[in-house]
Amino acid sequence: MDPESSVRIGIDTGGTFTDVIVWSGGSLETFKLPSTPDDPSQAILDGIGLALDRVGRGGTAEVVHGTTVGTNALLERKGARTALVSTLGFEDVLAIRRQARPELYNLGVRAAPPLAPPELWFGLDERIDADGSVFRAPSDSDIDELARMLRAFGAESVAVCLLFSFANPVHEKTVEARLQRLGIPVSVSHRILPEYREYERATTVTVNAYLSPRMRVYLERLDRGVAGTGVKRLRVMQSSGGAISAATAAKEPVRTILSGPAGGIVAAERLAKAASLGDLVTFDMGGTSTDVALIAGGRARSTNEAVVAGVPVAVPILDIHTVGSGGGSIARVDDGGALRVGPESAGANPGPACYGSGDRPTVTDANVVLGRIRRLLGGAFEIDVERARDAIDRLAVDMSRAAGEPVTRERAALDVLRVAEANMERALRVVSVERGYDPRGASLLSFGGAGGLHACALAESLRIRRVIVPIHPGAFSALGLLLGDVVRDVSRTVLGRDHDPSSVLDELEIEARELIAAEGIADARVRVERSAAMRYRGQSFEIDIAWSAAAVEHFHAEHQARYGHADRDRPVDVVHLRVRAAGESTPLDLGLASAAAIPGGACPETTTACFADGWRDVPLHERSALAPGRKVSGPAIIEEYGATLVLPNGWTLGVDAIGNLVCDQRETGGTA
Amino acid sequence: MDPATLEIYRALYTSVAEEMGASLRRTSLSPNIKERRDYSCAVFDRTARLVAQGDHMPVHLGSMPAAVAAAVEICPMEPGDVVALNDPFAGGTHLPDITLVAPVTGNDGKRWFYVAARAHHADVGGPTPGSMGAAIDVYGEGLRIPPVRLVRAGRLDVDTERLLLANMRVPEERRGDLAAQLGAMRTGETRLLEIVDRSGFAEADAYASALIEYSSRRMRARLATIADGTYRSEDWLDSDGAGGGPIRIAVTIEIDGDAATVDFTGSDGQVAGPFNAVESITVSAVTYVFRCLLGDDVPASAGLLEPIRVVAPEGSIVNALPPAAVAAGNVETSQRIVDVLFRALAGALPDVIPAASQGTMNNLTIGGVDPRTGRPFTYYETIGGGMGARPNLAGLHAVHTHMTNSLNTPTEALELAYPFRVWRYGVRRGSGGAGLHAGGDGIVREIEFLSNVRVSILSDRRARGPYGLAGGLDGAPGCNWVIRSGCAPEPLSAVCSIDAGPGDRVRIETPGGGGYGEV
Repeated sequence: MDPESSVRIGIDTGGTFTDVIVWSGGSLETFKLPSTPDDPSQAILDGIGLALDRVGRGGTAEVVHGTTVGTNALLERKGARTALVSTLGFEDVLAIRRQARPELYNLGVRAAPPLAPPELWFGLDERIDADGSVFRAPSDSDIDELARMLRAFGAESVAVCLLFSFANPVHEKTVEARLQRLGIPVSVSHRILPEYREYERATTVTVNAYLSPRMRVYLERLDRGVAGTGVKRLRVMQSSGGAISAATAAKEPVRTILSGPAGGIVAAERLAKAASLGDLVTFDMGGTSTDVALIAGGRARSTNEAVVAGVPVAVPILDIHTVGSGGGSIARVDDGGALRVGPESAGANPGPACYGSGDRPTVTDANVVLGRIRRLLGGAFEIDVERARDAIDRLAVDMSRAAGEPVTRERAALDVLRVAEANMERALRVVSVERGYDPRGASLLSFGGAGGLHACALAESLRIRRVIVPIHPGAFSALGLLLGDVVRDVSRTVLGRDHDPSSVLDELEIEARELIAAEGIADARVRVERSAAMRYRGQSFEIDIAWSAAAVEHFHAEHQARYGHADRDRPVDVVHLRVRAAGESTPLDLGLASAAAIPGGACPETTTACFADGWRDVPLHERSALAPGRKVSGPAIIEEYGATLVLPNGWTLGVDAIGNLVCDQRETGGTA
Repeated sequence: MDPATLEIYRALYTSVAEEMGASLRRTSLSPNIKERRDYSCAVFDRTARLVAQGDHMPVHLGSMPAAVAAAVEICPMEPGDVVALNDPFAGGTHLPDITLVAPVTGNDGKRWFYVAARAHHADVGGPTPGSMGAAIDVYGEGLRIPPVRLVRAGRLDVDTERLLLANMRVPEERRGDLAAQLGAMRTGETRLLEIVDRSGFAEADAYASALIEYSSRRMRARLATIADGTYRSEDWLDSDGAGGGPIRIAVTIEIDGDAATVDFTGSDGQVAGPFNAVESITVSAVTYVFRCLLGDDVPASAGLLEPIRVVAPEGSIVNALPPAAVAAGNVETSQRIVDVLFRALAGALPDVIPAASQGTMNNLTIGGVDPRTGRPFTYYETIGGGMGARPNLAGLHAVHTHMTNSLNTPTEALELAYPFRVWRYGVRRGSGGAGLHAGGDGIVREIEFLSNVRVSILSDRRARGPYGLAGGLDGAPGCNWVIRSGCAPEPLSAVCSIDAGPGDRVRIETPGGGGYGEV
């Protein structure tokens, strides 16, 4: 974010709502608009207009946008008619994939259709060897013939991924230059991802080509729409957690496919720093899925192994793990007598039974039956408690049969929650334990609508002693959009060639600085980070280590931490070198911003809710009435617009100076 | 048993096996393990019954329990011990698969669990680099390791390790892979002890048993939906790799209520070449086929096989006795056993069972000295092919099917690490069998060598193609070629070992899948 702008706006497009957060003159304001899926830019432009109305026009404004245009085009397979140009003999790279089937024991297994159709796979007679030397150069006449074919077959966008282009991009550059005259977007692999492993590089550059015409149209429409409104800059959040200009996003849309979720992680990183929250495991539970991530040492880890809509995407993406378990997950007893929750979901339609049209029991229905959810969206949405009870009662009948003893409605509902929480616990273990991180020292940061219902119970299973519900939990991703840096990442594979890492990093830094200057960031505000992806000679998976004279020693230590063993006698290879240039945003004063919005205390109501030890009266607090410094002991329920927090027995809640709810498990606390 | 607690333990035990696998894959050195994922990790209860196995390699499904049983019987373990083995006749499958087995001891000093981790190592000695050549007995296939202690009371037995490594090419890579396996075992032990910490060993143990019973109930429920009756089938391996063949595999499946008997009586006797399967391979194939009838979500526990009786006559191709050569039993014969089982079940479940998939793994091993470093190397890969068409769906192209699901080694990784140049890696168009639904196409792969190498191929379905069903046509058989520098391609046999020099190429065309239904 630019310090000169007087207004900053973060806009996050979601499936149902578009969240807007506005910062101006030291105060933050959030609101929601219905999303406009047919033309997402409509809700965005309306949101910007409303935001500017609220804070007053006349100043300069900056907008950062979290978009789902790329993700949705991928999921719905509604991108451009895309061609892929490969090295001759490797045209079928998208068909062969990695030669494995996606499910082992499913005789009806299907493979996600490739983004480029088979008639648009072309091979070019050229070859670069593993050491980067040219073995066979492509002929101009072959490239011209290729151009004719691309036109004849009606390609709207073209991806080029030639073998070993990361070692020597000369052939890709030649092809790129000669195909320009086609007048369609040309995406070349060494610009998007100059790293080895041809299948993942090919899918990544194909995703880029597939999305770029649509993304360009979309961003141009937004750009025209904000003209004359005082919006000076329009930026888009990348999946890596840094923003780029709309112009860059139009050229490299593959970097934006997890744009919105990245916002939530950035917000968590910044909040962790501002409020000294330590390490965090983030937990964002929605209706159909749950996103989790780890923030250790103030930073979320990023991954190059993400798979989005069945397609590997190897550009840096924040390591967010998604499981198909949410409030809408359906509970049933299978034919072996186990209680299963999900992956089948009631979704938005028919939705949980309590929404009034479905009749299969969901996690949300269990929460309704137990008295934990009393209303939705501040009462704007009526819930059908009887319908939820009927659904859970039917499940209780099935469970009684499996257990060989009567199962009450309450036990059935509590068990649905236990199983749902076990599924989510498994997701949290993937991002922590499987990455060599012990979550017991971290706090669980819960945002999204349904997270607070389960966060404390989940923390107990993971032996996490603190749960934090941040400020603006319903617009948390949008908040992150406001807080993120402008970031450009560059990298190069150096494996197998005799390079001096420092000189390669110097070159990469020059490149990264040029790119970030083109984003309009003054050099004085640029922070440069150098890292190396390292592994023991012969391994296949790298660990990213900040570059320093002691990088190899740090690699051994990190390998020990993650995998439980290290061998200081074994040679270590540097596989990729990476440079990140970040234009630092000015920190917003979150404390000032939020404390002002919280009025003084009020007396809680009482409600009845069921816990493991039965029904009891519990205090019901309105979150807006909980001022900084306030303490609440569990059991209690805290409601706010769009979210509910269940504070079990054995937990106490405090409100910190910024307004975050900080919940701690007492040393000898019982379980709710 | 409580339905919710059962489900929670299912998630817990399965995640232990998966976390062990994640650790092994990320720290190993053999391309077979790290890129191709040719490994399996599993958790066993205190009586050595399988509780959970990661979804790694189907061919290991039924054979991991045999490894633990052999370790327990032959090499009793004290706390802190880890046993290594690869003996096909004592818990192993074929020699490159080295399995580690360890007890997990509780704070009461009692045995609470066992964990096991198996990985396909790039070489375990013997005359052929990669240890996947055509021998006439197990002694010619590499170093045979009966259950022996690799770790004693928490300390690596360096004598044993030295003996093992001295008999293998590229010993430093083996050492790294064994370290990765040991790391995975520690991961498993730590995680299991954490699970016990939640509600105590009594509950964890009771639910380990409950999970086994759960798998058994699911399998029985599925078997009960199949019409009672006797279903027979047979199919052939092209050759035994030593001049004999074709080799007949026959099966009779009897479905009786919620139980089944799978009887291989009538199959040919064990053979001189390496196509012999030990019994645990046959059990794996049976487990795989019946698990496919259930779907992906049933834990791979000992209960799966509880309602199924397997009869594999001793001394036959499906239950070979020492000193048979077995390198291809794991990778080739296992695939044919699956083909035979599915063909029999097609009589009972015509709307479910697919036509035959490629039915081979097209094992290619290349060994030599890398001129860039002067160091010896061995490289092993398997190549995908056509998947058989399904009753309502075409087969997938160019993919690994049934008993394997290993990834390929990326061309760029291959050429960075080895003195090869890959010229072609494409879909073998038109090789899938025609039908109402077409079989998937195979693969064409062509590799040039940049130095002197020894090339070994173990393959099948070179004479007769994978069968079609319900009037669908057979898939095209595969073929192997050598292209000497500047010469025309010459055919190679399905099982062979040749020397090749710089500029020579090998081309492998893998079989297409069978079609389903009349066109």
